[in-house]
Amino acid sequence: MHKRSTFWARTCFASMVLMLFSLFAFSQGKTISGKVTDANDHTAIPGVSIQVKGTSVGTITKADGSFSIQAPENATLIFSFVGYLPQEVAAATTPMNVKLAASVKSLQDVVVVGYGTQKRNEITTSVATVKAENFNQGGSRSPMDLIQGKVAGLSVTRTQGNNPNSGASIQIRGISSVSGDMSPLIVIDGIPGGNLDLLQQDDIATFDVLKDGSAAAIYGTRGNNGVILITTKKGKAGDPQYTYSTYVQREAIAKRPSILGAADYIKVAGANNNQGADVDMYDLLLNKDNLSQYHNFAASGGTANSNYRASLYYNDANGIALQNGRTQYGGRVNVNQTGLQGMLTMQFNLAGNFNKANLNGGNSGGGDNKAGNAGADFEQAVQRNPTAPIIGADGKYIETNGFNNYNPLARLQQELYDRDQKTYSGDARITLEPIRDLKFSAFGAIVRDEYTDRQYKKKDSRSSLLNYQGGGYAYKANSAALDKTFEATVDYTKTVNSDHTFNVLGGYSYQYSTLEKYAMDNNGFLTDAFEDWNIGAGNALNDPKLPRPTQSSNKIDNTLIAFFGRINYNYKQKYMLQAILRHEGSSRFGANNKWGNFPAVSAGWVISKEAFMQDITVINNLKLRAGYGVTGNQGIPSYQSLLTLGTGGAYLQYGKWIQTYGPNKNPNPDLRWEKKKEFNAGIDFSLLQNRIGGSVDIYSRRTKDLLFNYTAQLPSNILDNIFTNVGEISNNGVEVVINTVPVKTKDFTWNSDLTFNSQRNKMVSFSNQIYKATEQFYGDLPSPGNLGSAIRVVEGGPLGTFFGYRYAGLTDDGKWQFYKKDGSIGGTSDMNPNDKAVIGNGIPKYMASWNNTFRYKNFDLSLFFRGKFGFDILNLQDMYFGNKKWSPNNMLSSAIGKNAKLNDDPQFSDYYLEKGDFVKLDNITLGYNFQLKTKYVRNLRVYASGRNIATITKYSGLDPELQDTALDSGIDGRGFYPRTRSYTIGLNLGF
Amino acid sequence: MKKSNAYISAALLALGLSACTKLDEKPYSEIISDQFYNNKQEVLSAVLRPFTHAGAWAAPTGQTGYWRLQELSADQLAWPQKGKHGYDGGNWIRLHNHTWIANEDNAWNPWRLMYWGLGFCNNTIKDLTPLDFGKIGMTEAEKTTLLAETRVVRAWHYLKLMDLYGNIPIETEVSSDASPATKSRKEVFEFIEKEIKENVDQLQPLSGELVGRATKAAAYSMLVELYLNAEEWTGTARWDDCITYCNKIINGEGGSLSGAVPALEPNILNAFANNHNISPEDLFQLTYDLRAGNSRFGWQGDFWHYRQRQIDDADVDGNNGIVVIPSAYDAFKDNDLRKTTWMLIGPQKKAMALRQNIGDSLVLGTEEYNNKPLVFVKEIRRNSEGETGAGGMTRGEENSGARFAKYRQGSQADPNYWGNDFVLYRLTEIYFNKAEALMRKNGKIATQDAVDLINACRIRAFKAEDWPAEAYTTTSLTMDELLAERGREFIFEGKRRSDLIRFGKFTTDSWWDHQASADKYKLFPIPFKQTSINPNLVQNPGY
Repeated sequence: MHKRSTFWARTCFASMVLMLFSLFAFSQGKTISGKVTDANDHTAIPGVSIQVKGTSVGTITKADGSFSIQAPENATLIFSFVGYLPQEVAAATTPMNVKLAASVKSLQDVVVVGYGTQKRNEITTSVATVKAENFNQGGSRSPMDLIQGKVAGLSVTRTQGNNPNSGASIQIRGISSVSGDMSPLIVIDGIPGGNLDLLQQDDIATFDVLKDGSAAAIYGTRGNNGVILITTKKGKAGDPQYTYSTYVQREAIAKRPSILGAADYIKVAGANNNQGADVDMYDLLLNKDNLSQYHNFAASGGTANSNYRASLYYNDANGIALQNGRTQYGGRVNVNQTGLQGMLTMQFNLAGNFNKANLNGGNSGGGDNKAGNAGADFEQAVQRNPTAPIIGADGKYIETNGFNNYNPLARLQQELYDRDQKTYSGDARITLEPIRDLKFSAFGAIVRDEYTDRQYKKKDSRSSLLNYQGGGYAYKANSAALDKTFEATVDYTKTVNSDHTFNVLGGYSYQYSTLEKYAMDNNGFLTDAFEDWNIGAGNALNDPKLPRPTQSSNKIDNTLIAFFGRINYNYKQKYMLQAILRHEGSSRFGANNKWGNFPAVSAGWVISKEAFMQDITVINNLKLRAGYGVTGNQGIPSYQSLLTLGTGGAYLQYGKWIQTYGPNKNPNPDLRWEKKKEFNAGIDFSLLQNRIGGSVDIYSRRTKDLLFNYTAQLPSNILDNIFTNVGEISNNGVEVVINTVPVKTKDFTWNSDLTFNSQRNKMVSFSNQIYKATEQFYGDLPSPGNLGSAIRVVEGGPLGTFFGYRYAGLTDDGKWQFYKKDGSIGGTSDMNPNDKAVIGNGIPKYMASWNNTFRYKNFDLSLFFRGKFGFDILNLQDMYFGNKKWSPNNMLSSAIGKNAKLNDDPQFSDYYLEKGDFVKLDNITLGYNFQLKTKYVRNLRVYASGRNIATITKYSGLDPELQDTALDSGIDGRGFYPRTRSYTIGLNLGF
Repeated sequence: MKKSNAYISAALLALGLSACTKLDEKPYSEIISDQFYNNKQEVLSAVLRPFTHAGAWAAPTGQTGYWRLQELSADQLAWPQKGKHGYDGGNWIRLHNHTWIANEDNAWNPWRLMYWGLGFCNNTIKDLTPLDFGKIGMTEAEKTTLLAETRVVRAWHYLKLMDLYGNIPIETEVSSDASPATKSRKEVFEFIEKEIKENVDQLQPLSGELVGRATKAAAYSMLVELYLNAEEWTGTARWDDCITYCNKIINGEGGSLSGAVPALEPNILNAFANNHNISPEDLFQLTYDLRAGNSRFGWQGDFWHYRQRQIDDADVDGNNGIVVIPSAYDAFKDNDLRKTTWMLIGPQKKAMALRQNIGDSLVLGTEEYNNKPLVFVKEIRRNSEGETGAGGMTRGEENSGARFAKYRQGSQADPNYWGNDFVLYRLTEIYFNKAEALMRKNGKIATQDAVDLINACRIRAFKAEDWPAEAYTTTSLTMDELLAERGREFIFEGKRRSDLIRFGKFTTDSWWDHQASADKYKLFPIPFKQTSINPNLVQNPGY
């Protein structure tokens, strides 16, 4: 305490003395004035720091970029600002026009690391940053599309093609959990668990991806799968600006299943199945004239102390399938203000998204339609008898009689399924900086995501006639999720002796989430006119002969509390050290284990700053870093540790029917976090005047206390499984990023960026002393036939292994032959589960992407390739539909082509495993920047973009890019959603 | 770590901010166990939980449990592969051929479901024993009866488990880390006998009000079954004890659903009818009611064809699974009413209400007989491909095999639509068991009493004019004939395997395309999923 007061006194006194001197110095100089602008777009740059070299005399530019400073003659002025290369310019008496050039991949770049930022050159952990100018061009259905393939180790997969109502599965560095959350934590502007629907591609400024444990540990229990920090564009000081972006997009078929036409079908199914017509139902389900459009209008402005950004958008997205669209609009407002003599800063954000989605078509889950797997509209179109007409002579839709058949075109006309969704978020942050470099900050956020679903099936629809005695069916459901966050932090930076810099951060975080749902349905309507808007009118409420109407409601909640701290130290920005500790508790865990500790430590060494490296001019930057961190996973359902009672069905109790109750789980009061320990080492380098740069990371991670449903001892437990912590998974891999500028001339630049990663995972152990499992099965194959599970994981083995019979050829009459365990050959009825063997693996071992950008004068062209290698795909489509036995349903042409000799029922074996390796030309964009000499337009760019243009692969199915982020990777299900190319034309206008 | 929590909590408490570290869970849509048992209804809800669960394993409701193992491994029913349907990993083929192994679902799922139901019983006893019944408005007598009933139901679970697996662990507590050891079949037998005999006197006699409950009638029936199989299960015959308890039931000591004593129904459908609750023949059943209780005895999944709703004007279809083996169908005489009433065969016609016009009277197939009339046939072979001969388990088609029609649900207009209960024990079985015990005591030769008992049941299966020729005599009723008649009477009821074992035929006889197997298959293997985690379990011999 004592020391501080004298320190303050000394500082104050010293600064006063200095100021007096400087005044004295000033009185002997000249007034230099001028303006600082951006060398690229000529905008004024406010806030640029200008210093008279060798003195402490300085000033900053005003909002219009102008400055005025007293300097002696022959003085040199140093101009510096974040994001620009510093310049030293001799002072001149005439007004100076200084143009600052943006630094390319500047080491002074700021990286968002969670609860703060760090300069790129001080990072000791594995963090990747993607800025707006490097985003994938073209229309994106979800924000994650923007960075697909840009970050080594980050896999973004769209399993439903370009369906506007489907999401992307995201994974960093492979599978590290079996039943917890498997996707990274998304933090939007500091709100953990933010909702991606609230982000529009033109409002996003950067993605920062925290890949390893030592970076993600600051997020503790949710950091196991990495953290993606998304920062939206904010207001900044400067002239008022407007930006308008727009594009139109069309989807065109790239690949669709090849099915038999009428003539071939009759040859296989027989003439008695010939109903005379020749219909391609698959084609009829496509909306070939689809068009999507997007508009985003933003305004920003303000001063250095008070600025804002507001944007509005509208998007009408339509997919390639009928009734598969999504219309959304919304906006975002950001206000920043600094006041109270620069001590109090406030930032305030408000965002909203309103969207209406048509879930009826496109395998989106409408009605009987389950996305991805058996029974959906496109599968019906593939298997429908091509000789069956669509509409009969009486004007009614024709239903074919096969197993599980229905007429998909009829269903689309007879049913509806809409979702009306509203998402809002509001957050505010207040930071008090009473003393320089000491900040107190309080942050609060609320996010609410609410949707209402409605379904109606007309009285004459097949579903209503079959299940509801022709009385129609109406359904409504509502879901409301609310997340409240409060965080308080203290941040202090201190530099000692101008060489040692410390930064200390301490904080508290509280997050409460709740999810409420309710639903109701009814049937027995007199008329279709109400649809679902008069649900009480259904007679099933009164008539016991009609199927019972149902009602349900449900609520769950959970709380997350944490105390965290971080210390950063660097010596001359050459040696860096970081330590993190987060002490976090979650309500989801057992009474004995609600809290856990998540520490991390990492260090860095900028070798290129050492004296012995100064002569090696080839190397501009070389940094070595290593880190170790522990993170957790709390992504399991709530209430797992409690002994709860569930319903068992009603039973007669003295003449009345009463619900029965019994324990519905084996409780586990010892339930605790999954913990992942990760070691990461990396090198960042930059050579040849920044013409070649990149990084290499090696990581090794182990997740212990894996949460999983284990087979419990039965007896003496009540149920056969218990959710408990046993088992370990390990992942190892290498990530490489290389950015090069092969050609750079006055008019022509060629940038080439390559990312590559390899991953190996292993199920180290499934057991401990109490619980043992030696194998687990995944990937259950659908009906008909119930052929079992496709994937088996054993202790000590890799994840994603296909386990099945080995194909040994066909008999002369086309029956299956498989190898038995002892090597002999047997038919289907000779086989038992012991004859199965490891036949392949569905998780890619390597992923790579290669992006080339060419700039010639005002034109730019980018080509982006992506690929995954080293995996197999189980072609379920071929297994069921490429088989003559699927008759009297229609089949794929492989039934009379590749599989023509087969004359046996579908069986799972390595006959249907194909290599899935592929390379895709995923994005070609050609753009032109107009250089208009008018002050009305700041910039104008027009572009044309194509996505998913070409795929090079040996795989015979629709798309080798399948979901590969879960335990049943590599199974190409029966969804048959077509693969499309997207063509986009757009423009960005700034004025 | 806990200390630092305490310090932090203390500090925050001082600031009045204790909520900042509270992490208790509050379930909104689930009940926590220690907030239950507040009144009579809640207590009964827990006591009855094993009954609603039993439908999953004891009845053909779509899961592999006691019922499927008992029927699909025997000579009357099978689930053949029918084209691309029904292969199901070879499960039913292995059951039929007696080639199952320890590491498969056929061994695991029945164990899982039955020990789960047993776990409910143990849990109820654990929760109710210390409960103060007076506080919730119930009497000590009620407590005694309910605990007795739960113990008897638990003993029934052990009876069925022991029937399948033989040497099993006996567990009466709920715990998460015990590894109970295997007990020999004899020890399990003695445990069951002791449990039932100690508790049967505290049970109520069966009455209409107690339909679906484990009453004296049910307990006596369990003892009858236990003693009938005693020679097979323990090596010591107990025929006299079996007869004693048969008599207790027959003379009404166990109670009856309607009237003073249980009585045989005059026809062969009444005991299984959808008007439930009032058949004097039923002794122990699982109650269901679609309309009143929103629960149904859902046999359609296993037995019904894909379009079967058209035949009966029903609201559901099935998975076209289990059918009658041709040799079992032939075991019925053509004039046996059970053949024509309990099984469905021949061309299938649409229910009147569903016919769109005069010509629309036939149900059409969807697979091999797509758009052709659906005609159920006795053979299980690829008739559509011109196959002849005996057929086989992998040779089925969509119309193969005679179909189940023993339980009739009625049409949707019927107020009792699908109100059928699943019958576990009925008086007919007691008559058969007593007759068998008498015959076995008599050197396996029929006595007149035995003949009278069987005839009293069999008479319902024949028209009056056919009966004289079909009645049994002491010479015509041999042990083989008794076994065959048992098969005909109890087809579809989940009893065949035990009967074949007791008569020494299960592993030595062949039927249709099933060849004799091996001795070890009289017991199912302890599932690998348990032997791999419980070191105190001993696998059955030969596995």
